[in-house]
Amino acid sequence: MSAQAATVPSRGIRLDSRLRATARSEWIKFRSVRSGPFVLVATALIVVVGAWLLGDANRGSYLAASPAGKAAFDPVFTVLQGIELAQLFVGALGVITVTGEYASGLIRGTFVATPQRAQVLAIKALVFAVVVWACCTAMSFAAFFLGQSVLSPAKHAGIGDPGVLTAVFGGGLYLTLVGLLGMFIGVLVRRTPAALAALFGLLAVLPIVFIEIPGKITKNLGEYTPDAGEQAYQLVHSGAYALGPWQGLGVLAAYVAVAAVAAFAIILRRDA
Amino acid sequence: MSCTMAAPDAGSAGHAPPPAYRRAGAALAAEWIKLRSLRSMLLTPLLGAVAFIGLADLAVKNNAAGWAHLDVVQRARFDPLGINFNFVIIGILLFGVLGALVVTNEYGSGLIRTTLAATPQRGLVLAAKAVLAGLVAFALAVVIVFTAFFTGQGIFSGAHAPHVSLGDHNVLGHLVGTVYYMTAAALIGLFAGVLVRSAAAAITSMFGLLLVLPVLADKITPDAVTRHTVPYLPSNLGDEMLHHHQGLSPGAAVAGLAAWVLVLAGVAAFSLRGRDA
Repeated sequence: MSAQAATVPSRGIRLDSRLRATARSEWIKFRSVRSGPFVLVATALIVVVGAWLLGDANRGSYLAASPAGKAAFDPVFTVLQGIELAQLFVGALGVITVTGEYASGLIRGTFVATPQRAQVLAIKALVFAVVVWACCTAMSFAAFFLGQSVLSPAKHAGIGDPGVLTAVFGGGLYLTLVGLLGMFIGVLVRRTPAALAALFGLLAVLPIVFIEIPGKITKNLGEYTPDAGEQAYQLVHSGAYALGPWQGLGVLAAYVAVAAVAAFAIILRRDA
Repeated sequence: MSCTMAAPDAGSAGHAPPPAYRRAGAALAAEWIKLRSLRSMLLTPLLGAVAFIGLADLAVKNNAAGWAHLDVVQRARFDPLGINFNFVIIGILLFGVLGALVVTNEYGSGLIRTTLAATPQRGLVLAAKAVLAGLVAFALAVVIVFTAFFTGQGIFSGAHAPHVSLGDHNVLGHLVGTVYYMTAAALIGLFAGVLVRSAAAAITSMFGLLLVLPVLADKITPDAVTRHTVPYLPSNLGDEMLHHHQGLSPGAAVAGLAAWVLVLAGVAAFSLRGRDA
C-alpha cells in the first residue's frame, strides 16, 4: 500500500529531473563498462603515437619527393591517418555500449526503470557522444601538434593556417560519428558480432568494393560511402566531386541519421 | 551413495582410462555438434560466398565490357586472374571473423565451462576445435574460390576478353594459395578468439590486423624495424604469396602464414591451460 503511494507522485516528476536521472544512470553504465577506458586509451595511443611515426616517416620522403609530390602533400592528413585504425576501436565501443547491455540483460532493468525508451536511447547517445567527442578531439589536437613538430623542417602546418583548425576538429568529429553509427547499428541488431561486422563492413569494406569495381555507378557513388567523413581531416580533397570537410562529415552524418531513425523506431516496438 | 561413487571409481581405479583415440573421438564429436549448430556458421560463409563470388563476377563483368575500349598498354596490363580475385581480402576477413566466433560464442554463452568440465584436457579441446574449424574452412574456401574462378573466367570468355584456364601456368597454384590463405585466416581468427575471449575484441583485432594495419604500415617509411616486420603481417604474406612483388619468395610467404597459425596455436593452448574459463 505504501509502495503504491510512493509511486503515484512519480508521475508528476518534472522532465528535467527525469532526464538528469537517466543521464546519471547512463553515465554510470558507460564508465563501468570495462572496455570503455581501455578503448579510449588504446585510441589515444594509436592516434598520437601514429602521428609521431607518420610525421617521422614523411619528413624524409617529403624532402626527397618531386615538386608535384610536394605540392600534393597534405601535412594534416599525413599525421592524422592513425584515425583510420582508431575508428575500429571507437566504433566497437559504440557497438558494445548497446550490445553489451543486451547481452547481460541489463537493458531489461533499464527499460523497467525508464519506460520512456526514446529518452533512454537519446541520453545514451548524448553521454557517449560528449565523452567520446571530448577525448577524441583532445587526441586529434595532440596528434596534430606532435606530428607537425616531428614533420618540420618538411612542409608542415600551423593551427592558424586556412582549413587546419577545421581539419583537426574534424578528426574528433569523425570518430564521434563513427562511434554513434556503431551505437545505432548495435540497437538495430542487438548482437555484438553482427553489429561489428555490419559497422566494419560499412566503414572498411564498402569503400574497397567501390574502388575495385570499375564503372560509372561505382565511380559516382564511391565518394558517398560512410568513409567520406574522412574528408574532415584532410586539407587536399580529390575525387570527381571533391567533397570538402563539412560535406564529407555531412555524408557520414546522413548515414548516422538513417541508423538513428531506424533505431528509435525499432527500440519503441521491440521487446528487450 | 554407492551409486554415485560407482561411476568415478570405475573410471579412475577399476578400469584403465579410456584410450586416447576414444577421448579424441569424443572431443571431435562434441566440437562438431557445437560447430554445426552455430548460427554464424551458416550466415558467415553464406555472406562470404555472396560477397566473394558476387563481387568477383561484378568486377569481371565490368572489366569484360570495358575490354574493347582499352588501348594497347592497358591491354598488355590486363590481368584476368587478378581482376577475378580482387576481393580476396573480404573473404579473408569473413573467414577470420568466422574462426573467432567459433570460440567467442562459446565464451559468450558460458558453454565453455561445461566443455572444459566434460573434457579437462584443454589442449585436446583446442585441437579438436582447430581441426574441425580448419577442415570446414578449407572445404568452404575450395567451393567459394573455384566457383568464383569458373564463373569469372566464364564471363570473360563469353565477352571474348582474355581469360585463363586451370591448366595455365600458375593458375592452379594461385587458387590453391587462395584456399590456403583463407583457411589460415580462419585458424588465426580461432586462436585469436581463444586469446581475447570476447567477440568484440576478437572481431576488432581481426579487422585491425588483416585490413587496416597493413595499409597504415605502408605509409610509414621503411626503416630497420618496419622492413623486418611489416612484410610479415598476415595479409602482406598472403598478398606476397599470390602476387609475387619483391622481397619474400612465395614459399617463404607460405611458411610465414603457417608460422602465424602455429605460433598463435601455441600461445592459445598455453593461455587456455593457464586461465580460468
